[in-house]
Amino acid sequence: MILSSLNLKNFRSHKDTNLKFSDKLNFIIGGNGQGKTTVLESIYYLCTTKSNCSKSDLEVVSFNETGFELNGIFNDLTESKIRIYYSALENKKYYYRDSKLISRSADIIGKFPIVILTPSDHSITQGAPSERRKFIDSIISQASENYLRTIIDYGRTLRQRSSLLFQIKDNRNKNIFSELDAWTEKLVESGLIIINYRKNFAADFIKFIVASYKIIMGETEVPTLRYSFLENYGGSDFKVEFFRLLDLKRNEELRRSTNLVGPHRDEILFEINNMSLKTYGSQGQHKTFQVVLRFAEFFYLKEVMGVVPLFLLDDIFGELDTKRSLKISEYLRELGQTFITMTDLTNLSFMKKNDNDKYITLNSGAVAYG
Amino acid sequence: MQIAEPLLRAIEELSKLPGIGRKTAQRLALHVLKSKDEDVSKLVNSLLELKTKLHYCSKCFNLAEGDLCEICMNTKRDQKLICIVEEASDVIAIEKTNEYNGIYHVIGGTLSPLSGIGPEDLKIKELLKRFENETIEEVILALNADTEGEATSLYLARLVKPLVTRVTRIARGLPIGGDLEFADEATIGRAMLSRNLL
Ligand SMILES: [Zn+2]
Repeated sequence: MILSSLNLKNFRSHKDTNLKFSDKLNFIIGGNGQGKTTVLESIYYLCTTKSNCSKSDLEVVSFNETGFELNGIFNDLTESKIRIYYSALENKKYYYRDSKLISRSADIIGKFPIVILTPSDHSITQGAPSERRKFIDSIISQASENYLRTIIDYGRTLRQRSSLLFQIKDNRNKNIFSELDAWTEKLVESGLIIINYRKNFAADFIKFIVASYKIIMGETEVPTLRYSFLENYGGSDFKVEFFRLLDLKRNEELRRSTNLVGPHRDEILFEINNMSLKTYGSQGQHKTFQVVLRFAEFFYLKEVMGVVPLFLLDDIFGELDTKRSLKISEYLRELGQTFITMTDLTNLSFMKKNDNDKYITLNSGAVAYG
Repeated sequence: MQIAEPLLRAIEELSKLPGIGRKTAQRLALHVLKSKDEDVSKLVNSLLELKTKLHYCSKCFNLAEGDLCEICMNTKRDQKLICIVEEASDVIAIEKTNEYNGIYHVIGGTLSPLSGIGPEDLKIKELLKRFENETIEEVILALNADTEGEATSLYLARLVKPLVTRVTRIARGLPIGGDLEFADEATIGRAMLSRNLL
């Protein structure tokens, strides 16, 4: 999948910007406030219908405008024209594929696989467990529509069940207890689907982490990923254990009106040479691990989906030393179409030039190539 | 401004209908005024008939002209096999497939603690009564495949399992979040044929 051209209208600082891309590396260069990160955000929008950093569509609309529009041309075996139009007046987003309005998000997600590495990735290795669950959920969801549906279904089950727990606490009666049993069974049913997906994913994904880590760091360190679920359960009968824990925590669940057992409490642990990255990792190790995770995501999606994802890298060389930057820039050659933002070219002095690459400079709304 | 009394009253009544505002009510009333007498009679009679002739089946809560619906009265249907659905519209959807020859029970919704809907708000007591009065051997749970539909199925399965020999749930062939009513006939037909034992 290749994005050959892109037009941004009233999208943050871009009034009307036209861009043409190479199918290899695209360096998007510009000072602060020139809108280079916004270009990545708009590509993410085209592929997923959402922003990677902003929760509301309105926030993205240029000041004093009534909406934004993005047009992108993708080439695979055939050409697809994607158009997103957001109307602030209606607070409504329209997604068109070859002039046909698409309304189900499931018809879009996973069709244009994309991987994005940004400075906010620090939360994946350094933040709360929910950040790591979000990270793996977004990868598995791109690869499996069924997983995405189950995640949505499970979230709704959690809300319904905690509402019921609250009602029982308020007014205990026998009838409500059998209702709770039904919601508990529903929780286990969807929860087990998620656990099985995550378990299989973790087993597969570690190979990709190890391979990327080796290329960037050499062989001295060995990374691992451990998936911990159902309170670190090590046995093989997940269903029995799930019900056992629910039974054990029933009174506490009622007292706190909260769901205390299930994959919404899973943890994903990263380690280097069997030492917890979160506890013992240096800043440099964290940063490297974040980069490794995104490279692993790229090669994982490429393998399971059979399509080469777009790769977006937002300002990655800033915090890395020259040796690692050099390794990463060599590694970039093994990707497909890639978009890399940077403030200037000094970080690239060590990189071999390639005629297929494009250097795109943004300056006060003007676009220059070369 | 003076508006003739009969027109005012018609506007008043029409605007009580769901989704009809004052302006639309006025347009509808003026339209009726311009229509032929026989057309107006047809409209009025169809509404009256709807209300006097159609209500809920006293047994299964499907739509019925008499005390019982067509399906409950049909002796050719398998009275030992009962299919539980959310709404009367689901009965129509399943009937269209011609894959099912049992009877129904419409429970009128799903459990949803967030919306304050519990078992007592659904026709569940009435369902259990039927197991006392009829000889039902098999239950098919054909509620929507969304979160609430599935939880309600699990709740009902717990209740009826001790009462019958077989409880099945229609296969997850239906799109999640998509109502039974809107799923195409081939999909529902397939889902009815491949049921999972509970
Ligand atoms: Zn009936």
